[in-house]
Amino acid sequence: MVQLLDLGNVELTLVSDKEKRLKFCINDHMDILIEILQRLDGRSLGAAACVCRQWRHIARSDWLWEHLCFRHISPRTMAGVRPVVAAMGGYRRLYMLCLRPVLSRLGRTRGLGGGDPEVVRRVWTQHLVELSLSLFCVDYYERLGNGGGSGGWVGDASASSLMFLCKPVNV
Amino acid sequence: MDPYRSGSSSSCAGKAPDQIDGLLAAAGYRVRSSELRNVAQRLERLETVMVNAPSEISHLADEVVLHNPSDLASWVDSLLSELNQPVPVPDLSDLTYAQPLDPTVNTGAWMEHHAAEQHREIPQVLTAVEEDSCIQLVHVLMTCAGSVQRGEFSLARALIDEMQGLLTRVNNRCGIGKVAGYFIDALSRRLFSPQGSGLIGSAYENEILYHHFYEASPYLKFAHFTANQAILEAFDGHDCVHVIDFNLMQGLQWPALIQALALRPGGPPLLRLTGIGPPSSDGRDSLREIGLRLAELAHSVNVQFAFRGVAASRLEDVKPWMLQVGPKEAVAINFIMQLHRLLVSDPTRGSPIEAVLGWIRNLNPKVMTVVEQEANHNQPEFLDRFTEALHYYSTTFDSLETCSTQPDKALAEIYIQREICNIVCCEGLARVERHEPLAKWQSRLRGAGFKPLHLGSNAFKQASMLLTLFSAEGYCVEEDGGCLTLGWHSRPLIAASAWQAIPEPNPPLGLVDPYNNVV
Repeated sequence: MVQLLDLGNVELTLVSDKEKRLKFCINDHMDILIEILQRLDGRSLGAAACVCRQWRHIARSDWLWEHLCFRHISPRTMAGVRPVVAAMGGYRRLYMLCLRPVLSRLGRTRGLGGGDPEVVRRVWTQHLVELSLSLFCVDYYERLGNGGGSGGWVGDASASSLMFLCKPVNV
Repeated sequence: MDPYRSGSSSSCAGKAPDQIDGLLAAAGYRVRSSELRNVAQRLERLETVMVNAPSEISHLADEVVLHNPSDLASWVDSLLSELNQPVPVPDLSDLTYAQPLDPTVNTGAWMEHHAAEQHREIPQVLTAVEEDSCIQLVHVLMTCAGSVQRGEFSLARALIDEMQGLLTRVNNRCGIGKVAGYFIDALSRRLFSPQGSGLIGSAYENEILYHHFYEASPYLKFAHFTANQAILEAFDGHDCVHVIDFNLMQGLQWPALIQALALRPGGPPLLRLTGIGPPSSDGRDSLREIGLRLAELAHSVNVQFAFRGVAASRLEDVKPWMLQVGPKEAVAINFIMQLHRLLVSDPTRGSPIEAVLGWIRNLNPKVMTVVEQEANHNQPEFLDRFTEALHYYSTTFDSLETCSTQPDKALAEIYIQREICNIVCCEGLARVERHEPLAKWQSRLRGAGFKPLHLGSNAFKQASMLLTLFSAEGYCVEEDGGCLTLGWHSRPLIAASAWQAIPEPNPPLGLVDPYNNVV
């Protein structure tokens, strides 16, 4: 650690050999970084992906987002879900498109006011995850239509089926 | 048509009574929204008295105002008692006033008096003139429909002109004005167009409108998810499953089922899907395209999938041999807003619904899912149909007001407009939108040899959760004897049910042997 001590008019820079060896940079310790990242909420994880290229690479790994999605589901019966979600666009997309708006919408309607994310997460249920997966699947299907050939919809952008999730709640 | 519902939907829909109380208090009135119905009744009496006997009340003009007009209920009571009229007992059995009243109803005179306090923004306030025009519009609509039923076409045409005039005085971008506009349009098509052909679009147009209706409101999503839940539960334990969809459209229902089958414990079955749809024009083979897309999705989630498309312009043209049901398959039949089309009765062809239900029963499906509009639009008398449709589609349009994405909302309205036109303009074979209420379907299906399957709590929870995702708070899911209904403000609009065939002793199997003979 490099310390700048302001002793009156004197600035002393204390860098000793010992302290050089103790110099800690998180980027050298990926396992610790991952441990930290996997405890973050979605918004923080997204912010972490903006820090630097290395963080972006890690914070965008689908495994972290899978962990975020199913962190509080018990029992962990979601074993077979991974290939399905991966085929349809990945956990990060699932979280961004479905789980996050669903949770915030449910949190608001239950009067939690979008406040404590921990409390909001605890009301996740199996039904919620199943519904999110179904909606995610419809979204993937619509994107197949858009990316594909002549059978596309008139004037639609992608993920139109989930647009209702993005609308502000009219409470 | 309840005139007090006209236009109040946007302002009162979704507001809790205490919020309405707050609005009233802010406007300077001390009255609870629960009392408003009684207040309105008394106001009507007061108006009747004042109009009918002006000589008796001239003394009121000479006196100082004795009572505080902000306390609405007691002020009206005191006025009535001054005029020696008995205060009417509130009629609790009156079911017409099912909705909380718009606080601006019948406050025409007072609005001028309390103009200062009324500056606060109450959304969708109708002025007294507009309110009168709305009520008049509804009355003229009914009269016009009655004259159409009686064949008095010149009177009907004159009434249509009158209604066009009334429409200009009403806000026709929302509420009763918009709905009335569509119904007036439908009536004029019936009267002025040759043979009242209604609105017919190409299959491609219909698909687009259907898609936008899917986006704009939860009705189709509710239908799909509920039906899928019933199908999923019926397919439990089977390794070869076959779904027959009588209206494939873009196949939006099936990705979720494929995904659920992929994730079911024990692994996915072999899934066959037979999609029925109208033959497509202009060279496109839309059925095949949808099948390819579904196959791609199934492939990406490792579900063995096979698709077959059957193009038929009328549902009764579909025959069991076209479906090629295998002997060991578990079959599910899916009718989303389609079964009512078979109620078209033609004396030369017998009853298509009985024929189709007959061969479906012989297939012995594990489940038949039926989702229908919850309305009685198949009554023999035109006026009855018209009245029922006015109520039903007013509620539907009210619920659509909450959708804010365009062009979803506009195209969804056109989708509904086509239904309205079919019900109002068409007769005989052309009238395909023959909606019947759930109770009628239940007795009809029971008579055809089906027994109901209860939609379980999973379906109910899923439907409730789906509704919380929609931004409007007016939707409600109810369970009704094993069936689920989705409605707007306690008016059910769409009903979903599941059925299973009661096996006959020694039934003909309706299967196809290798020589294409029906066994």
